[in-house]
Amino acid sequence: MDRFKIFLAPFCGLVFGLFILMLIVYFTSSLPIFEREGLAIYTTNVWKASEEPEKEFYGVLAAIYGSVYTSVLAVLIALPLSISFAVFVIDYAPKKLKEPLIVATDVMAGLPTIIYGIWGAFVLVPILKRFVMMPLYEHLSFIPLFSFEPSTGYSYLSAGVLLGIMVTPFASAIIREAYRSIPYIYREGIYALGATRYEATKVLLGYIKPAIVAGILLAFGRAIGETVAVSLVVGNVFNIHPSLFAPGYTISSLIANQFGNAFIYGYMVPALFAAGLSLFIIGLAVNLAGLMYLGRFKHAR
Amino acid sequence: MLVRKVKERLFLAGITILTFLTILPLFHIIFSVAVEGLPVILRGGWDFIIGTLAPPDDGLGGIGPAIVGTFVLTFLASLLGLPIAILTGIYAAEYPNSMLGKATRTLLMIMMEFPTILVGLFVMQILVVPMGSYSALAGALALAIVMMPYVAVYTEEALRGVPEKYREGAFALGLTRFNVVFRVLIGLARKGILTGVLIGIAKVAGETAPLLFTAGGATRTYFNGIDRPVGAIPLLIYDLVQQPYENYHEIAWGASLLLLIIFLAIFLPLRLSLKEVKL
Repeated sequence: MDRFKIFLAPFCGLVFGLFILMLIVYFTSSLPIFEREGLAIYTTNVWKASEEPEKEFYGVLAAIYGSVYTSVLAVLIALPLSISFAVFVIDYAPKKLKEPLIVATDVMAGLPTIIYGIWGAFVLVPILKRFVMMPLYEHLSFIPLFSFEPSTGYSYLSAGVLLGIMVTPFASAIIREAYRSIPYIYREGIYALGATRYEATKVLLGYIKPAIVAGILLAFGRAIGETVAVSLVVGNVFNIHPSLFAPGYTISSLIANQFGNAFIYGYMVPALFAAGLSLFIIGLAVNLAGLMYLGRFKHAR
Repeated sequence: MLVRKVKERLFLAGITILTFLTILPLFHIIFSVAVEGLPVILRGGWDFIIGTLAPPDDGLGGIGPAIVGTFVLTFLASLLGLPIAILTGIYAAEYPNSMLGKATRTLLMIMMEFPTILVGLFVMQILVVPMGSYSALAGALALAIVMMPYVAVYTEEALRGVPEKYREGAFALGLTRFNVVFRVLIGLARKGILTGVLIGIAKVAGETAPLLFTAGGATRTYFNGIDRPVGAIPLLIYDLVQQPYENYHEIAWGASLLLLIIFLAIFLPLRLSLKEVKL
């Protein structure tokens, strides 16, 4: 054991300590609500805040539902966009365009999320409402997905689209790196067999499947944890509705909206920590799975 | 044969369109923010940069406290986070095969992806509740936790990118490991480390969620001590967007343009001097 290692190790330990302390804080802070309600906090959709602790009851199912719903939408949007972007930039973009395209997506990935938020609330939502939601609702409202009348435009769809835009650059960076790393000999081989570019790309994408799965999982993890941009467009209503156009809540926007005044109630703070704990665990599981797939892909190479 | 040709054409057209759809929002965002924000800043003039927030429905005032707050918070967060992050990065680079080294690398990757609102809630519970008040210190700690993994990962990669012969040469001179790292390797890896530091700063300067329950926000008073609440530009935008007043929406657009300019001023030169970045 050298002295240098002993000097450095405490700093590593500090980072670990912070993370473990975080987990402990989430468990202990949400304990009162589990003791009172059990798992009903996750399986019911009620939000009864009251000055008298006996009347309080909280269930955050609507927020969990909304988080998963909007993040799945985001991933469905990000998947075709990010794969197309990666393929286009690596294989087909004119040389002069390649670098600017990649820089543009990097700027998008780093852009402060509040800027997506203000743009989403004031620009994207009105556009979506006028050109997507209203026409679909007027003509196809018998389909459950389109069955909710879009009165404000703040909805799962708005949040999903905004999140999709935000996580696409991130997913495409992972897919792009993997696609670039495919040995040149494979490309030569496929074209030598007489494949068209479409057929070749299909085969090459099959080769990087684990990286695509990783990109999607990590994008899902980003989407589910995003707070301010979502809370400005999702509507913030306790609601479990199948329609894309219905307003809802997400775990993070629930915390952002309710935590400020939670301290005057007896059990709201533990309830919100329990909601945070569910986000903690979902996020950790999804991100670990994503990192595992990515590691497997890099290892196999 | 014809079918294959048609498919090929459709495929090429499809990915071209989708590629441009991917980056279209960026231009629409920059365009919207500039169109909505520039008139506000021009109308407000200097007052918009140094003044304090106007009352509802009454003019523009300024966002001075938020600007000062963002700089204070970013500076304090760097002070708290950078030393720990860099030393952690050095450990991960120097002892990549030790148990702690491996675990640290995984932890850093997880922390990069971690929902930032949870960091804010955590700091609220351990610092704001005991202190009894929102504070610049709490905001800075939350930002420091968000910043650390970026800086640490960049430091690690920069150090591992230094050719092995420099390390061997330094050891051959009889230097201790401490001196090898701090006198030789750090100097050679400085560009990569600096990149990580700047990426971390660009990231936290635009963060909102970790500040929601830590910094507290201040729109009419400037920074007055690290134990007092402080404003930040992203936090101010988030609050103003949710208000019903027309002039607050205008101020939010102006503040967004300012934030966008600050972000691009740090990020673009950095990105253009590099091949790739991790975000």
